Amino acid sequence: MSVEAMVFLFGVIIGAALLFVKVFFVILISDLEVDYINPIELCNKLNQFVIPEMLTHAFLTSMFLLCGQWLATAWNLPLVAYNGNKIMSGKHMFDATEIFRTLGQHKKECFIKLGFYLLSFFYYLYRMILALVNDS
Amino acid sequence: MAYSQPPTPSMRPAQAPPPRPGARPAYPQQQQHPGQPFHQQPYQQQPGQPGQPGQPGQPGQPFQQAGRPMSRPGTPGAPGGGPIPGQPLGYRPVNGPGPVPTYGQPGQQPPSQQQLQQRTPPVGMVRPHDPNQNNAMRRPSQAGTSVPQSPSGPRPPMPPGPYGQQQPQHQPGQPLQRPPPIGGGIQRAPSPMMRPPMSQPGSPGMPPYSSPKIRPLTAQVPGQQPPGSPAVKPMGYNAGPPVYQGAAGYGQSPSQPQTPKIPSQPHPGQPYQQHHQQSLYQGAPQTHGAPGMPPAPSPAAQGQGLVNAPPVPGPPTPHGGGAHKPKRVYPQGMDAYSDQSAAPANSYGAAPGAGFTPAGGAQPAMPNAAEQGPQFFVPGEKQQQQPVPAYQQGLQPLAGQSLQPNVNQLTNQMAGMTMGANAFGYNTGPQLSTVALMGSAPRIQDLDADPPAIRLPPNAAITQSPNANSHPSYKRSTLNAVPGTSQLLTKSRIPFGLVITPYRSIKDGDEPVPVVTDSVIARCRRCRTYINPFVTFIEGGQRWKCNMCFTANEVPSSFDYDPQTQQPVDRWQRKELNHAVVEYIAPTEYMVRPPQPLVYLFMIDVSYPAIQSGMVATAATTILESLDRIPNDEGCTKIGIVTVDSSIHFYNLNTSSGEPQMLVVSDLEDPFLPQPEDLLCNLSECRSTLEALLNRLNDMFKDTQNVGNALGPALQSAYKLISPIGGKILCLQASLPNLEAGALKMREDPKLLGTAKESTLLQAASNFYKTFAVDCSKSQVCVDMFLFGSQYSDVATLSCLPRFTGGSTFFYPAFTAAKSEDALKFAHELAEFLSQRIALEAVMRVRASKGLRMSAFYGNFFVRSTDLLSLPNVPRDQSYSIEISYEDNLTIPVVCFQTALLHTSSSGERRIRVLTLALPVTNSLHEVFQSADQVAITTLLACKAVERGMNSKLDDARDALTNKMVDLLGVYKTHMTAASSGATPNLQICDNLKLMPLLMLGMLKHVALRGGSQIPSDLRSYAMHLFSTLPSQCLIPYIHPRFYALHNMPADCGTIGDNGIVMPQAMNLSSERLERGGLFMLEDSQNIFLWIGRDAVPQLCIDLFGVPNYESIRGGKTTLPTLETDFNQRINLIIGKTREMRRTAYYPQLYVIKEDGDQALRLWFLSHLIEDRAEPIMSYYQYLGHLKDRVNSGSF
Repeated sequence: MSVEAMVFLFGVIIGAALLFVKVFFVILISDLEVDYINPIELCNKLNQFVIPEMLTHAFLTSMFLLCGQWLATAWNLPLVAYNGNKIMSGKHMFDATEIFRTLGQHKKECFIKLGFYLLSFFYYLYRMILALVNDS
Repeated sequence: MAYSQPPTPSMRPAQAPPPRPGARPAYPQQQQHPGQPFHQQPYQQQPGQPGQPGQPGQPGQPFQQAGRPMSRPGTPGAPGGGPIPGQPLGYRPVNGPGPVPTYGQPGQQPPSQQQLQQRTPPVGMVRPHDPNQNNAMRRPSQAGTSVPQSPSGPRPPMPPGPYGQQQPQHQPGQPLQRPPPIGGGIQRAPSPMMRPPMSQPGSPGMPPYSSPKIRPLTAQVPGQQPPGSPAVKPMGYNAGPPVYQGAAGYGQSPSQPQTPKIPSQPHPGQPYQQHHQQSLYQGAPQTHGAPGMPPAPSPAAQGQGLVNAPPVPGPPTPHGGGAHKPKRVYPQGMDAYSDQSAAPANSYGAAPGAGFTPAGGAQPAMPNAAEQGPQFFVPGEKQQQQPVPAYQQGLQPLAGQSLQPNVNQLTNQMAGMTMGANAFGYNTGPQLSTVALMGSAPRIQDLDADPPAIRLPPNAAITQSPNANSHPSYKRSTLNAVPGTSQLLTKSRIPFGLVITPYRSIKDGDEPVPVVTDSVIARCRRCRTYINPFVTFIEGGQRWKCNMCFTANEVPSSFDYDPQTQQPVDRWQRKELNHAVVEYIAPTEYMVRPPQPLVYLFMIDVSYPAIQSGMVATAATTILESLDRIPNDEGCTKIGIVTVDSSIHFYNLNTSSGEPQMLVVSDLEDPFLPQPEDLLCNLSECRSTLEALLNRLNDMFKDTQNVGNALGPALQSAYKLISPIGGKILCLQASLPNLEAGALKMREDPKLLGTAKESTLLQAASNFYKTFAVDCSKSQVCVDMFLFGSQYSDVATLSCLPRFTGGSTFFYPAFTAAKSEDALKFAHELAEFLSQRIALEAVMRVRASKGLRMSAFYGNFFVRSTDLLSLPNVPRDQSYSIEISYEDNLTIPVVCFQTALLHTSSSGERRIRVLTLALPVTNSLHEVFQSADQVAITTLLACKAVERGMNSKLDDARDALTNKMVDLLGVYKTHMTAASSGATPNLQICDNLKLMPLLMLGMLKHVALRGGSQIPSDLRSYAMHLFSTLPSQCLIPYIHPRFYALHNMPADCGTIGDNGIVMPQAMNLSSERLERGGLFMLEDSQNIFLWIGRDAVPQLCIDLFGVPNYESIRGGKTTLPTLETDFNQRINLIIGKTREMRRTAYYPQLYVIKEDGDQALRLWFLSHLIEDRAEPIMSYYQYLGHLKDRVNSGSF
């Protein structure tokens, strides 16, 4: 198995995990909208995933960079920069006191990220299979 | 002489002499003289006995000793010689049975937190519940899915009647059994559902249920009817007596109301009107296909046709006024109607002659056109003055009996002719009178005017009670007629929202909130709406139909039968059907736990700045003297005191010796509770210990040099202490927290002020306080902040705690108790605040009719779900603003907003306060404008502007306000006036919104939003806090201060009139009113300014200040001396009245401003004169010019 296949296999796994996290976010946010969960609980639940998600994504991007997968790196870099900017400005966490005012933004962001991860996932999968086929 | 009232024994002096620093202020102790009107107190001032602060022997004032020393020598009440005051060490037990006195070392850990929590004493508040709660009619729990109640217990015996309990559960699709002839049946056997006979001539004793209108209803299957459709509304023909009188004038006999001959009259008129309308207003929505309004009514639908047809135009016009003009006549010019005094008055004046009696009891007062200043009438008004054919007038009363949406729409089409005011024909409200803004001074007297009348259809409420709709002081809407579609709302550009003050204070003379004590609370099983005066009874009164979701619900048996006295009761007398504001005693289903007792935990900063400013001494004295005023009905109120500097000091007040015991925790990283069970004491039981502690508090720390302030850790431990119960933490902070968690920095940067980055200073600096506030909210803990800033206090960050926990913030910039006025203000406000009967562990929910949704909330609370606000405490007189958005178009004639505040009262009862507001729906832009409430709009916009200013930029907030104003004026110009396009020479707006530009300008010039780099962020934050919490009656003066000339006021001002103290006439806020020799007062509900011109005559100085001339007057913060001169007494009375009339805890401070005195003070005073030009903001007339330019250049 080549390095390329390995790194994309890794990407597929992590991409799937990120996908799940985002689905989880979307579900919880919808729960909040229909009042199945209160904002304090929601923020406690979601906030513990925010930083790990961003780190995982950054780690994956750096893997691609190290392995010389320029296209994959370029695809992921904007999101890394966006996440980094959010952390720097201290707005990455869900704030229970503001959540209803910012719910729309959060939801939009979640869906965009969900789509992004979905596309990434299939791209990694495709590249992995391509690499495996090339290997054999 | 006005002062010759004989003094009554209970009278007390109104104005105490300036107390010494820390001495007890002479605030009025109202509860001592409950029967005495508050406003009379100032008159107690007798020349011979100038204000002694209380008399020692007076009952109820055990602590009221004039000039009580802060620390008394000796050991007060300490048996066996307690520790010597002033020696803090003396409070530390040497070998006490408790834990080691000073916990600082890790080795000396007290019992673990878990143990402490377990040992926390039980609340012990289990109250006996209502014995009736085991009734069969028990309400399903709020959380669970509700099931329709089946009358399992035997229903109380009811008198046999046509609507007896054997009413069959009819099958859908099967017509209901038709009741026997109604009048006869009822007269034979009056059922309990019957409404008491109304004083209606012609049909005595005919209850609405017996009304013939019920026939179409019973012929239909409930549930198949679209909501709000006419037949479902059991509107009696016989209801609304005045309507009938009107009908009678046209030969309709009231005794045969249901006669189907009536419709034959309208029909000729209807097509005519419609045709006429179409030709006039092509743009108006055409709703001919609306459901329920068949173009050609079949005989069966005669009833509907009847009610549809006659939406008769406008106010009654003279009978002999000539033929109806088919063509619209535009005014020749603006001044074609400048003879305005004649126009509206004439048309109304002639009305009675036409045999018309205006329907509806509460007629809004006709605006006196002669007083309105120049008026410019819109074409619509012209139409209104056109004579209406007699046959149409005759229909008018009938139209009032129907509530159909399409009537509304139809009348909307006729808006040009009817001016909307008479859309339903049952109410002739004031006309939409357009006023020109420019060229005359704003009529500021109208700031205190009532909001536009809510013109509900008659019989919208099932009882004729005058209290059926909420009083504006509880709940007011920005629009008193709700647009039927979101498009119409968008078109009007008026913000739509509610301003709610659910827990306003009840002063003497105010009607208390009626309390319903039933064990079964009647609520809709689907939408959980509480029964209210706007529901309808169906099926002969067996069920009630919810006015929000139109679900039919069982009427609880207690409505007709009292199980205690075993007597039938009259359901029409029920409070919840007669009052829009009621309180229910909540049964156990509404309790998560037994009601909590009141807990007050004082967290007092005892660092060096706090001691130096005298805050601690003043606070201790005030608390000591307020102990009697703290609500303690059941003897369960708990008090705790924590002091904080660089360590946290707890006080064990539950000692056997009766001496307070101080416990110091200096471990700030992991603060713990040394003795959790004893740190909160029962106010009644540990009273003497508490007094001993408060007496010595200042002395214990008077030599401190400690500048640390560990507020964060102290809050955390205080939270641990009271979170099992919930309660109130009162933080008194005179320095910036600078240790451990929650430490704040001095971040004020003058370079940032006035720039786009200024809003960062208005946001919280640390997340700690936000997170902590959320925790508090969860545990029903409320935090109140009293901030005393000699320097930067970071109000922005610290006010986060009250903001999310339902608390209040008080800010005393540059506080020093050496200034008696400062001490007095703080002491008064703290004492008032402590004596408030607050509500605890509250949640508030606002329900609205289908199609409306609460979209944004402003105020001090935590939003717990999309429509649920959580308030650990509800202070008195705090206002909450809620914005409303549309989910769907409204097809009902009346929408309802119901606020339910579930709370524990300070007497330990779980209660639900329900406020119901019903508003008519309209499809006419005229009516929307006509019903707009400028005060409520300003309150809502202030909240929105504050939020905008905090979250983005202050510039944005200001622009948003001006843009909103431009939009309003532009829309009004385009759609309501003749000059719909092109430049106009003047700005026009309807009469009820004419002060909006002034209020907008007031906001733009207010400390909260004003631009420039002069305003410290603390002051701005505090002003913003007030913007979003003050109730309207306080906020409007805060934005637009009241300005009086006192040197030449009429002789009766400042004396007792029929309505209390007569106030002078308020003047426009312009410096051109200032005179060199004058005395002026300006009051903005937070401060009072007395401005003295430099040429003030010596006699004025002698009479008012007791000094020989102008030069001897001392400017600045002051207390007016009490002299024996008439003038001084009158002014003192006016100031006293000003201080109490706003109904909040705030105590306005008096400043004397000399014309040539302190420059800063003078400029501060002048900055309140908002009609003047104050760089860089325009004067009022410039602002109007600016608005006009933008209106003329924009398109709307």
